Amino acid sequence: MILSISWKNVWRNKTRSLVVVISLVLGIFGGIMALGIMQGWLAQRVHDGIYKEVSHAQIHNPQFMLNEELQHTIINYDKVVAVLDTMKGVVAYSQRVKVFSMVQSDWAATGLVIKGIDPDKEKTVTEIYQTLVEGEYFGGNHKIPSIIIGSKAAESLKLLNYQVTKEKIDSINTDIFPQVLIEKLKRIGDKRFRKDKDFRLALKEALSPEEFEVHSESLIKYFSFYRMNTSLRITIQDKNGVIQNPVFKVRGIYKTSNSMYDGMFAFVDRKQLNQYTELNDNEIHEIAIISNDNESGAKVGDKLAEYIPENSTMSWIKLSPEIAMFNEFSAIMGYIYVGIILFALAFGIINTMMMSVLERFKELGMLMAIGMNRFKVFGMIMLESVFLSLTGGLLGMLISGIVVSVLSRTGINFGMWAEGLEAIGYSSMIYPIVTITNYISIAILVVITGMVASIWPARRALKLNPAEALRTE
Amino acid sequence: MNVIELKNVEKVYNDSEIKVHAVRGVDLTFEQGEFTAIVGPSGSGKTTLLNMLGGLDKPTSGEIIIGGTKVSELKGSKLIDFRLHNIGFVFQSYNLIPVLSAKENVEFIMEMQGVPSKQRYLRAKELLESVGLGDRLDSRPNKLSGGQQQRVAVARALASKPKFILADEPTANLDTKSTENLLDIMEKLNHDAGMTFIFSTHDQRVVNKAHRVILLEDGVVTSDERQTPHQ
Repeated sequence: MILSISWKNVWRNKTRSLVVVISLVLGIFGGIMALGIMQGWLAQRVHDGIYKEVSHAQIHNPQFMLNEELQHTIINYDKVVAVLDTMKGVVAYSQRVKVFSMVQSDWAATGLVIKGIDPDKEKTVTEIYQTLVEGEYFGGNHKIPSIIIGSKAAESLKLLNYQVTKEKIDSINTDIFPQVLIEKLKRIGDKRFRKDKDFRLALKEALSPEEFEVHSESLIKYFSFYRMNTSLRITIQDKNGVIQNPVFKVRGIYKTSNSMYDGMFAFVDRKQLNQYTELNDNEIHEIAIISNDNESGAKVGDKLAEYIPENSTMSWIKLSPEIAMFNEFSAIMGYIYVGIILFALAFGIINTMMMSVLERFKELGMLMAIGMNRFKVFGMIMLESVFLSLTGGLLGMLISGIVVSVLSRTGINFGMWAEGLEAIGYSSMIYPIVTITNYISIAILVVITGMVASIWPARRALKLNPAEALRTE
Repeated sequence: MNVIELKNVEKVYNDSEIKVHAVRGVDLTFEQGEFTAIVGPSGSGKTTLLNMLGGLDKPTSGEIIIGGTKVSELKGSKLIDFRLHNIGFVFQSYNLIPVLSAKENVEFIMEMQGVPSKQRYLRAKELLESVGLGDRLDSRPNKLSGGQQQRVAVARALASKPKFILADEPTANLDTKSTENLLDIMEKLNHDAGMTFIFSTHDQRVVNKAHRVILLEDGVVTSDERQTPHQ
């Protein structure tokens, strides 16, 4: 009956309780969204870090770790491969040759790390093949070998061009861009711009300031294109220290969520690269390994280090400590958010409960007079507070649950900050993640908040002298 | 048999700068089945005396013994427990729990005593029927008249099977008809079940029904007479 009285007491003053409930709903919603976005964000960073960059573990010659020179290939390669082929927990692995090179297009040059890979094996380890924004992932019979570079490297090499072509003008969306604007665009002509800065300037001259303000970003994106099949001259040193200058053609451009990575690595077929490095098929710089999941990946890394001590084996936790840290702290950060919000809301609950106790002095006095002990009075007030906070908390969680489940499929686009986010390795498309454990923990936090917030008002009630309270009007 | 004994009970309030001597050297005994009215002008110490009898207030000196227990020496949860099992209260302004129905208000006290739910329900129903509210079991207090609320309060006071019932000006807020009705019910409970009632009152109608009238003036018992109740 105490449960029923407490529940009914919560709704005695409906407006007052509803105000607290609504503030709890909003607070919990905000907290869960912040938690979900943060977890989604960090989970994406962890996923991309592992499946696009470092994998679960990597094997190198210890010397290569200190000084990345061509001759420091993996020691006892055949033994290593035999171990990998039989070891439990190794789902896939990919052998790579890594060379540092200067890459030149006709218009610019940049330094890149070229990874010589077996394209099909690499597919089982990294998701780079899924991130192609232009061109194809190897294949085809080409006289001049293919190279896949990142979008950032393509920009550095001035392969991202801008041109107002007739085809693009003909297929432009007239619902978004008015006819007047299209006419003005035609005046720019068929000229090709190699720098985003120059094309921007041309647009500024052709359009009115208002049109430029509204449409420039989308126009720059619409008229941009990568110059594919461009020849790149690569300068590398072979095994004997002789400088080689092979030519590769850009046949694919990838874009991960980490623009630093996109500006640093290029991929070619290992066999074709080895024609210039003079390395044979058993000379490998790096083996990247994928396991079933992150946890077993770390274990596989540690096990391998025992089996092949002559080489350096590192799991993703050592290869990318910041990713390991994100993995660990993402939930904690979210709980800190929710905790701060609940702390603030607790004062609202205290206020409401205090008012409710002060209004009921006479009734509480009567309850104590007829024989309700202090423990029960305290419990009743605490229950009221818990019911009040749980009502708001559960409602907030329900609404957040629905919103998160929709957004976890559609994603939230933080496109306006894409450049900044991608510079530090984060995708601008975020899919919030909130787990059942998160909801349970938040529910527990809400109950604790309700209990703690009731202590002060409940103590106030316990100090009552029943005889005096009964005299109050 | 003596149910209640007061031995040289004094009560001094020291709260403010002025000492208030509310009750002075009261010696009284109440027996099983009494129907007593304590009367006296405002400020004569009626409510203070009643609060001390009910264990809501402690005497400054003297002893109060109820059924062999020195109530004036009980403290904390023992005192609350004593009240729960031995004393029924009826207040001037009914003091029902507004969110509970009549039946639930009566059941509430039994739940605190640990009576099983089925028994609680049957007893609450029986008690409410005995005060003429058998058809209002599920009504909340705000749907009942003052007289009906006070009858629920009497049923609640009886629910715990107390040794006696203390009623502090129970008819003060009631009209004539409701007062008569309530007094008839209490008189019947006293007569049929031997329930002891002690009232504090200003109401002549209550005084007329009493078997014993105690007059309190300035905290002192100035008269204590037994009478044949007027009909």
